[in-house]
Amino acid sequence: MLDERTAEALRAVRDEASRSGKRASFALHREDSHLMRIGNSSVSLSTSEKLTRLDVRVVEGRREGTHTHVGELSGPEQVRELLGVAVEKTAAAREKSFEPLLEEVEEPVDEQDQFDAGLAGLDPAHKTTVYGRVFETVGRDYVYSGAWSSGSIELFLISTSNDLEVYHRGTDQQFSVVLKHPGKEWELRSEGTGWRAADVTAEQASAELGGLTGLYESRPGRRIEPGSYTVIFGPSAIADLLQMAAFSGFHGRLYEEKRSWTASSTIGEVILGDNITITDDPEDDLTFRHRFDMGGRRRRCYPVVERGAISGFFYDLSTSAKFGRRPTGHDTRSPSLVMACGDGPGDPLVAVSSRKGPVLHVPALHYTNMPNVSEGTFTGSSRFNATLVEDGRTVCPLFSSRVTDDLPRLFRSVSVIAPEAVSVNLSNTYERRAPVAFSVPSYIVAEEVRITDCAESF
Amino acid sequence: MPVCDDAAAERISENLDRMRSRGAGYADARLFLEDLSENLLLYDGNLELNDTSDEKGLGVRVLYGGAWGFSATSDLEAIEECFDKALSNARTASKLVRLPIEMGDRPPHDSRYDSPVERDPFGVGLLEKLELLSAVDEMLERDWIERRLVRASCQKRRVLFRSTEGTTVEKNLTNVFGTMVVMAQDCDGQMQRRSHSLYTTGRGTRGWELIADRALFADHAPRIVEELSELRGAPVLKRDRRSVILLPGQGALQVHETIGHPLELDRILGYEISYAGGSHVALDDIGSLRYGSDRLNASSYGAHPNSPGTFGFDDDGTPERDYLLIDRGILVDVLSSRAMVREANRRAGREVIRESGGAARASAFYRAPIERMTNINVLPGDDGSLEDITGSTDNGVIMDNPTSWSIGSNREHFHFGCEIAWEVKGGRRRRVMRNPTYQGHTLEFYGSLDAVGDAGTWRLEQVDNCGKGEPNQVMQIGHGVPVMRFADVITGEKE
Repeated sequence: MLDERTAEALRAVRDEASRSGKRASFALHREDSHLMRIGNSSVSLSTSEKLTRLDVRVVEGRREGTHTHVGELSGPEQVRELLGVAVEKTAAAREKSFEPLLEEVEEPVDEQDQFDAGLAGLDPAHKTTVYGRVFETVGRDYVYSGAWSSGSIELFLISTSNDLEVYHRGTDQQFSVVLKHPGKEWELRSEGTGWRAADVTAEQASAELGGLTGLYESRPGRRIEPGSYTVIFGPSAIADLLQMAAFSGFHGRLYEEKRSWTASSTIGEVILGDNITITDDPEDDLTFRHRFDMGGRRRRCYPVVERGAISGFFYDLSTSAKFGRRPTGHDTRSPSLVMACGDGPGDPLVAVSSRKGPVLHVPALHYTNMPNVSEGTFTGSSRFNATLVEDGRTVCPLFSSRVTDDLPRLFRSVSVIAPEAVSVNLSNTYERRAPVAFSVPSYIVAEEVRITDCAESF
Repeated sequence: MPVCDDAAAERISENLDRMRSRGAGYADARLFLEDLSENLLLYDGNLELNDTSDEKGLGVRVLYGGAWGFSATSDLEAIEECFDKALSNARTASKLVRLPIEMGDRPPHDSRYDSPVERDPFGVGLLEKLELLSAVDEMLERDWIERRLVRASCQKRRVLFRSTEGTTVEKNLTNVFGTMVVMAQDCDGQMQRRSHSLYTTGRGTRGWELIADRALFADHAPRIVEELSELRGAPVLKRDRRSVILLPGQGALQVHETIGHPLELDRILGYEISYAGGSHVALDDIGSLRYGSDRLNASSYGAHPNSPGTFGFDDDGTPERDYLLIDRGILVDVLSSRAMVREANRRAGREVIRESGGAARASAFYRAPIERMTNINVLPGDDGSLEDITGSTDNGVIMDNPTSWSIGSNREHFHFGCEIAWEVKGGRRRRVMRNPTYQGHTLEFYGSLDAVGDAGTWRLEQVDNCGKGEPNQVMQIGHGVPVMRFADVITGEKE
């Protein structure tokens, strides 16, 4: 549980607010983060941040205001001051046309089952050792880059809606190592994720990189002509596509406002292939489990797409209030999207062994974006470990190739889905530590994917 | 206003000395005594964001054994521990170093920079701010418009920088941003949008008065409503090769993504490869690479008083500079910081970069400085006004404001979507086109730059959301750009 001194300070001010008829919530975020960056085969930065944030939100009729404080909390007096700032802002705000919803803890949660003391206290020296072993094993002639972020977060939420509390403490890490050939310019990447210290090992990274260097050393890269291709997407690319599809297709606000590519569809309508099932499942151990959201809702497995048909949209507090919907537990920075596996062969090359013509293997996409959200049009370019496959064999590295296609069309054209799920870390550290991992098949095969450009380089 | 009380400054100086005595080659500290932000958003007339935040804390950077260690804390009772942690991180990092980082020596200085401000945005009451936003919102309101967003965000920072070299810099930085957006469904049921962001002329002050200047913000409301109206029934831009004329709203992003980012020296040296990517530019290219046509002149310019890309001194303590990056099409310099310049010259075996570009910036007390853009500008040309450029265009499109941007990992190729296009035929601007996109390869694209508008077409676009680095950092920058025309560009998508 949260340290008693801080919890008591928050409870005391919450209770005072409640007694004086104020409606307020107090959301605490604490992080203890470490990140090691690698550049040019050296540690380019080793950084630690120990930060406390408190979000105080006040709702008064149809008015609301929020104040966030980054800094240590000295006690109830300071929390009272921060509440005062939010109250003042709220009083000066103008009324909305609808009544905002205040955070309300549905049921108490005290979760720490994804906390690993070994990862929370990971000595940065361990990271230099692991990177050093990768360099030694794969070869000192290459130029290495990478980043390894690890740390812990605490989340604590209470509000004047009731006296229930939720608390989360968890650890997470995101590891990457990129190998670049100093002359030929190609780049290979291995990634790692997990909430235990033992989830990232030098052996795994070395094996993944070492498994591809032979091909890249022996064959020059190839430029392909724009056109339609069968594409094997790897886990990183699938997670990227899934994230885009979820944000632009299943976010309640975009749907209600007719801005999503699902705007003209309804619950139950089949919009994707019947082999596509997507859930938001905070019980999946390949994701970072958050069983409550910062609106106070208990998060459980939430079906989004079942066998191609829409099952549900994500409603946060704000959208729910505006459109009169029930919140679905999606006021979270840590969704747990899961794309169901299929019955394809374990090896993606076997899955495409009977295809005529070139097949592209694109494990990762770089800098994806959506030129037309209404159509679900996305674009991004291949990067890291991309290869050309012919007759079920990897034949050469692939130059940077741009995919520009429509998400609904792509997810209707998936012909093979891997039987095994892997975890892909999509965390970012903008503003505050927010671990995110999706569970996705280790590959999918999509047909007639549009390649719209190809560079003469990697 | 004094940036810092003497006691805190004294403790920082003592700890910097302590780092020296414990073997650090260099150390610096950024004490954020105040970091305020405010975000207001009217969404369909409702005040959906009424948020403020205050941050206070210390970030310490220590160079030991040729490696950086950084530590940050929001607990100002723990200053000593923060310094110790940074040193410990640097010591660990120094165990895995191939080319030791060097800062070189710079004479100490005691300096101060204050953003010129007439009205402190945090001294303006919420009611007055909402009055301004509501007035704009009313101008956007039509029964056929489905979404209206009017946003203002304000920032104010008081920062004390000190280094083991004895340099002290005090900074008071203020920024104000504004955006308005309208959306409506088109004839195919797709949502179209038109927007306008608060820009500056590069001259003047940067307090609340900036957004209150009607010519820079509110007066654009009727225009975007009118343009959205035309978009609703406009034809889709079909795929073709044609001239592309970029208005500053889009030109700024083009410059940002394909001149600014690839010219960041940390990207060129390979320090961003595992995340944001590298650069198509090599060290040997500096001074010789033809980046674009003779018409292309680009600069890093630190003297626009009212731009978020102007900050006086960077987070190495280096004064912001004014210098050319691209001179008549030739790459002549890059965006740089002290340590990266020394490393680049050592790796090149000659002086490829003369001095730091003053581009080391940290977005918060809890982030370490990295190469960031400042004001990355394209200088005005002598091809006249937008009308002059349009008049000399046989087959082209004018495009404005981004909806989507996707760039290759080395910034060698790109794909952009825009809000609106106007067809140009036979030297005349004709109909509006919707869903416009264009794509290209960076050097080929700038090589096709065949018209650059004069100073009358130039304006400084403010950017408040440039993301880079690990841990991630969002930075505020500026782009002064004129109208630009590029020949023979792939536009539109295949059916």
